[in-house]
Amino acid sequence: MHRLSTVAEMTLRELVRRRGVLLLLLLMPLAFYLIRRDAYIGQSVRALLLGIAWAVSTAALFTTGAARDLEPRLRLAGYRPHHLYLGRMLGLWVIGLVIAVPFFGLVAVDSDGLRYGGVAAAMLCAVAVAAPFGMLIGAVLPRELEGTLLLLTVVTVQMLLDPAEAGARLTPFWSCREIATWAVDHTDDSYLTRGVLHAVAVTALLVLAVAGAVSARLRRRRHVRQLPVT
Amino acid sequence: MNADQWLHAFAAELHHDRVAPEDIRHVVAEAATHLRDGGGDPWTVFGPPDRYAAVIAESVGTRPAPRPGPVLLHAEGITKRYGRRTVLRDAGLTVRAGQIAAVIGANGCGKSTFLRICAGLASPDRGQVTLAGRLAYCPQQGGTADFLLPDEHFVLVGAGRGMTRSTARRAGRATARQLGWESADPVPARQLSGGTRQKLNLTLSTLNEPDILLLDEPYQGFDRGSYVNFWDQLLRLRDAGRAIVVVTHLLNQLDRVDLVLDLTPAVPGGRPCTG
Amino acid sequence: MTERRGQWLRGVLDLCVLGLLRDHESYGYQLAQSLDAAGIGPIQGGTLYPVLLRLERSGLITARWREGTGGPARKYYRITESGQAALGRGGPDWQAFATSVTAIVTGGVDG
Repeated sequence: MHRLSTVAEMTLRELVRRRGVLLLLLLMPLAFYLIRRDAYIGQSVRALLLGIAWAVSTAALFTTGAARDLEPRLRLAGYRPHHLYLGRMLGLWVIGLVIAVPFFGLVAVDSDGLRYGGVAAAMLCAVAVAAPFGMLIGAVLPRELEGTLLLLTVVTVQMLLDPAEAGARLTPFWSCREIATWAVDHTDDSYLTRGVLHAVAVTALLVLAVAGAVSARLRRRRHVRQLPVT
Repeated sequence: MNADQWLHAFAAELHHDRVAPEDIRHVVAEAATHLRDGGGDPWTVFGPPDRYAAVIAESVGTRPAPRPGPVLLHAEGITKRYGRRTVLRDAGLTVRAGQIAAVIGANGCGKSTFLRICAGLASPDRGQVTLAGRLAYCPQQGGTADFLLPDEHFVLVGAGRGMTRSTARRAGRATARQLGWESADPVPARQLSGGTRQKLNLTLSTLNEPDILLLDEPYQGFDRGSYVNFWDQLLRLRDAGRAIVVVTHLLNQLDRVDLVLDLTPAVPGGRPCTG
Repeated sequence: MTERRGQWLRGVLDLCVLGLLRDHESYGYQLAQSLDAAGIGPIQGGTLYPVLLRLERSGLITARWREGTGGPARKYYRITESGQAALGRGGPDWQAFATSVTAIVTGGVDG
């Protein structure tokens, strides 16, 4: 637990020390929200959710990249792979919540008649999925430019795709849209249910994929034989 | 070389000559007071540090060289190909407790790869590495986090072996001081100079008191004083029974090491330098 | 210092140090200054300290660190009983030797 929390703490410290990054992480969802604000509130809430998702996954992508050279050393220093990826994920989830809270306040003040529990749930889903999603891209694509481009593609597809299309369910942040629809348009509860299920399933899948990728990279190699220390 | 650098070099030479640490402290302190009292260029007053150290070693006597201990690292038959290019062919190295091994060779001959394979961070195509003890690895670059402070690095790495925050901080700062670096200032790693970042890198690798220490050209950006401190530290660790492997391209340091592995392709495998 | 003086000194520096320490303890730099003031010439630290270390090791002098008056801590040397004894033997030896040499080089000896 000590190791896990230390990695989480250092992830947070690193991000918090980058004031500019933090500011931009807040600016991105805000811009997404404001750009659609004069029209229909549902659109701005959906855009806001995507903004949060994008901000958190970008942060996850870059912290994963930055830690790439450090992790082998930490592994040798006594960390197990799961301390490293779970600790980092924990830190990113906390940052995600820190980003989401003011936006929840913004929506609450700026609108009325929404299911606010649903808005909160959608934000939670966005954060939950975004952290392992960004980390996975960072783990699979070691170079940041490639990773960023892939992230851009996914989020744009997500934004432009009609959520009713069958393929839309394959996009990682589909859950946010479904729950947001439930919250804004007061649709029936099946939207909420399948949204939450989707978020849980996608998060679990992504965490497993991150675990696989990181554990493979930091695995004990077969050619090394460790004798018991006498 | 100013007086401080001369004294550092002198201390390092005394270590190298295996003068007892207690005696080293006294002799160096005495030379320092003498220089402070009389001014004067240490090169005139005492002569070259190595020659004076040899005279002192003869006057006060030296400890017998500790017999190298058990084998802590044994690599054999290491072969590594990148595509069709073979970078390592049947390379091997055996390092005992209390020994320093240097890995040398031209650029691109696989020095870093060999070290990474020994550390278990890369897989060879053939070959085996046997380790008896805990291992630490100091990469050539990038073993630090840009936005963390030195103290935070110490805490992070120390936690790997269950060190508390204060223990890790204390241990890190003490090691840094031995490298001539006061690490308590809250400066993120990215704002440290190249040489200081390498000191951080090096401090992190010794923080957990490893038995086996692998260093990949760890002194890039060091000034002369730091360089002397570095060897000083290395010899201290050796005398404390660590097995140390250091990748180097500075051949003039080879007289300080116990073993040399030359990875230049013309010489397959390793050759011992001294007995 | 000429090379010859250096050679002479090598043979008697330990006696000189013992002589200087006969009455009171002293530290390296002060000894060097006393030797210079006595006309033996400037003695570099590189020559003096190995001699002090050898004398200390053979028990003719002892050393301890202490704060000087208002100065930093210094290593003070003090002669021991066996040091006194060595000086008592070595002093007359040197005297006899020096007298003979003087006699020869000044032509005061026949044949």
